[in-house]
Amino acid sequence: MHDIYNFVSGTLVWVSFILFTGGCVYRFVSMAALAKKKDPVIYEYMSLRYALRSIFHWIIPFGSENMKMHPVFTIVTFAFHICLIFVPLFLFAHIILIKESWNISWWFLSDSIADVMTLIVVGSCIYFLVRRITQPEVKFLTSISDYLILAVVAAPFITGFWTYHQFPGHKFVGIIHILSGEIMLVAIPFTRLSHMIFFAFTRGYMGSEFGAIRHAKDW
Amino acid sequence: MKKKSWILYSIAVTAVAVVVVTAYSQENVKYVQDSAFKTKMRPGAVFLHDEHNEKAEIDDCGTCHHLYKDGVKIEDETSEDMECSECHKINGNPVPLVAKYHLRCKGCHEEKKAGPVMCSECHVK
Amino acid sequence: MAEPAVNNTKQITDEGIVRGASKLTPEKIERVINSVLKAETGARLKTYVDICVHCGLCSEACHFYLSHDNDPRFSPAGKVKQTIWEILNRKGKVDAEFIKRAAEIASTECNLCRRCAMYCPFGIDIAYLLITMRRICHKLGVTPQYIQDTAHSHSATINQMWVKDDEWIDSLMWQEDEARGEIPNLRIPLEKEGAEIYYSVIGPEPKFRAQLIYQAAVIMNASGVDWTMPATPGWDNSDMCMFTGDFEMMARLKKIHFESAARLKVKKIVMGECGHAFRSVYDVGNRALGWKMPPIPVVHSIEFFYELIRDGKIKIAKKYEKPVTFNDPCNMVRGRGLHEMGRFVTNATCEKLIEMHPNREHNYCCSAGGGVINCGPPYKKTRVDGNRIKAEQLFAAKARGAKTIIAPCHNCHGGLEDIVHHYGLDMDIKFLGDIIYETMEKPE
Repeated sequence: MHDIYNFVSGTLVWVSFILFTGGCVYRFVSMAALAKKKDPVIYEYMSLRYALRSIFHWIIPFGSENMKMHPVFTIVTFAFHICLIFVPLFLFAHIILIKESWNISWWFLSDSIADVMTLIVVGSCIYFLVRRITQPEVKFLTSISDYLILAVVAAPFITGFWTYHQFPGHKFVGIIHILSGEIMLVAIPFTRLSHMIFFAFTRGYMGSEFGAIRHAKDW
Repeated sequence: MKKKSWILYSIAVTAVAVVVVTAYSQENVKYVQDSAFKTKMRPGAVFLHDEHNEKAEIDDCGTCHHLYKDGVKIEDETSEDMECSECHKINGNPVPLVAKYHLRCKGCHEEKKAGPVMCSECHVK
Repeated sequence: MAEPAVNNTKQITDEGIVRGASKLTPEKIERVINSVLKAETGARLKTYVDICVHCGLCSEACHFYLSHDNDPRFSPAGKVKQTIWEILNRKGKVDAEFIKRAAEIASTECNLCRRCAMYCPFGIDIAYLLITMRRICHKLGVTPQYIQDTAHSHSATINQMWVKDDEWIDSLMWQEDEARGEIPNLRIPLEKEGAEIYYSVIGPEPKFRAQLIYQAAVIMNASGVDWTMPATPGWDNSDMCMFTGDFEMMARLKKIHFESAARLKVKKIVMGECGHAFRSVYDVGNRALGWKMPPIPVVHSIEFFYELIRDGKIKIAKKYEKPVTFNDPCNMVRGRGLHEMGRFVTNATCEKLIEMHPNREHNYCCSAGGGVINCGPPYKKTRVDGNRIKAEQLFAAKARGAKTIIAPCHNCHGGLEDIVHHYGLDMDIKFLGDIIYETMEKPE
């Protein structure tokens, strides 16, 4: 147990952090270089003001027409993304582990709030799954990889909840929890989760085209 | 009137005595606890003092109940009569003290490759 | 779990597509696809494909999807799945049947109206992905016959309608003559060097909507602006090559257009009421030539009319009485934000404006633009059936009293005529120019 624990909570943490940050930097830099070479329009037409205007309308709930047309989805997706980011970064147990390792710490969530937020993430994933299976327009676009990505995202939260509440097998699940978190981190730069890196740029570019050239809104 | 207050007084003294004795009696320690933790995020870590020390072959109380002065460990003195938080002050943020406890327990476990290391192994519900 | 990418039961009969595809070999398909992907696409295509989370939220942006009872094959991402995704997944190893269907999807089941760009949370430019598919089809020689014919006309005559150079001048002189019956000293000044305004139109105007040139001449004369039209190729601002994927020819057309205006040393180009031509001159064609913005300022008629009325150069004698509704054309509204100016002109010339819903940037496409109407009779049913939602939108406006549709765009005009007729809407369709001509104070 000690060896496995040390491996997943030591070596693999470093591996995943390096692959995550390195991967993000690599994806960003290589895409920027490719854009410079093949899509110079992006640099020509990108406008900070209109990029921010567009991003602003799309990161506030119900800021766009489409969000108003899908109120349930909008609420779920905002709750999902907020919890997805906040829980791992501000969970007390994570803060303690970081404090122990690097002697740094920051603000944390109370465990009961984190518990509810975890359930929100898991519930949202179930909503996305059901939507994928039942809505024809989503089902048509769905491939195996979409289910895999959903599983990668849900896994750290399900296992975290499991091990926190000490359901049967919680020691083993605890190891899986750490492992799944690492897998998710590594998956971000190399899968569709890379929208985390590129969202601001695709949104910003569209906002720039609509704002600066076409004098129209894009939300 | 006088009789009543005397009874109350003796009950109170007994209660305090029981609490103090329980808290400091080495034989009965079952959980790691520290009065500095006002709200508990998790159940206190399971810790059977004597069994642990027997199994871990720890004879020197100062291994855990250490005492420092100006950053230097005082070799012959120990601190069984104190709570960790008396030196490791909490100042509103429990994180540093929790980390101290963890390093004391988990740090040693990892070093010796013995004993629990994962959250749910000590903070048993 | 995963749906098949191509679910095609419909027989493709378009001559251009069928004959073009009959000459394909798997090697040629693979080579052409990969050469286009390698040479012409980059970070945009890659990012768009990489980050799309297949959420389907773009679906309700598309009139084809809404009009086909939410058939997922007609959703924007659904169309990308059946074209670009499949090509990328199979690294260009697709067969001629696939290309035939992909050509049809990209050229006739998407108007490139860019409404979906406003519905994708990530701002993925889905129209760009489908125009890339058209580009591949163009390079493979698989394009619908009718629009290809207009592209051929562009290459041979520099106009869309096989209008010969002398026929163009003849048509202008004919309309000048006609208009003089109404305004005796009216002129259509040809080749006037140093004029302030260069007025350009699309090929179909001299070909079969010559009265629009007449009306424009009346408006220009009444407002007393200093204008001219060229007597040389370049007069046609339209551009079907942009929609067939023939970007080289598109650039050539725009070059000749801008050069004819530069030769006449005009201050600006004013364009007739056409949407796609505006997109080509203002947004796409200039970029193909390396101009970030057009080298000579380009003003669409909506904006031009707005300025004339705002500055009092045109006076309205009697407002148009029937209640009107305003159809926002994609290329001037999502493409240039002229919706409020359009409403200003409408309110200045009409008694009552009844809005259709949705409107402005969110208006539904007419289903004719993006070269779809130019794919001709074989696809008329595709675009009319594919826009039932527009009929419903118009019925709702009609129910609230609208009798006339103002459509300041040629493609909208053509598309709406077919929709009005097919669905029995019984509404008139007018250009802003029609309304202004009808309501303005004319000089004696």
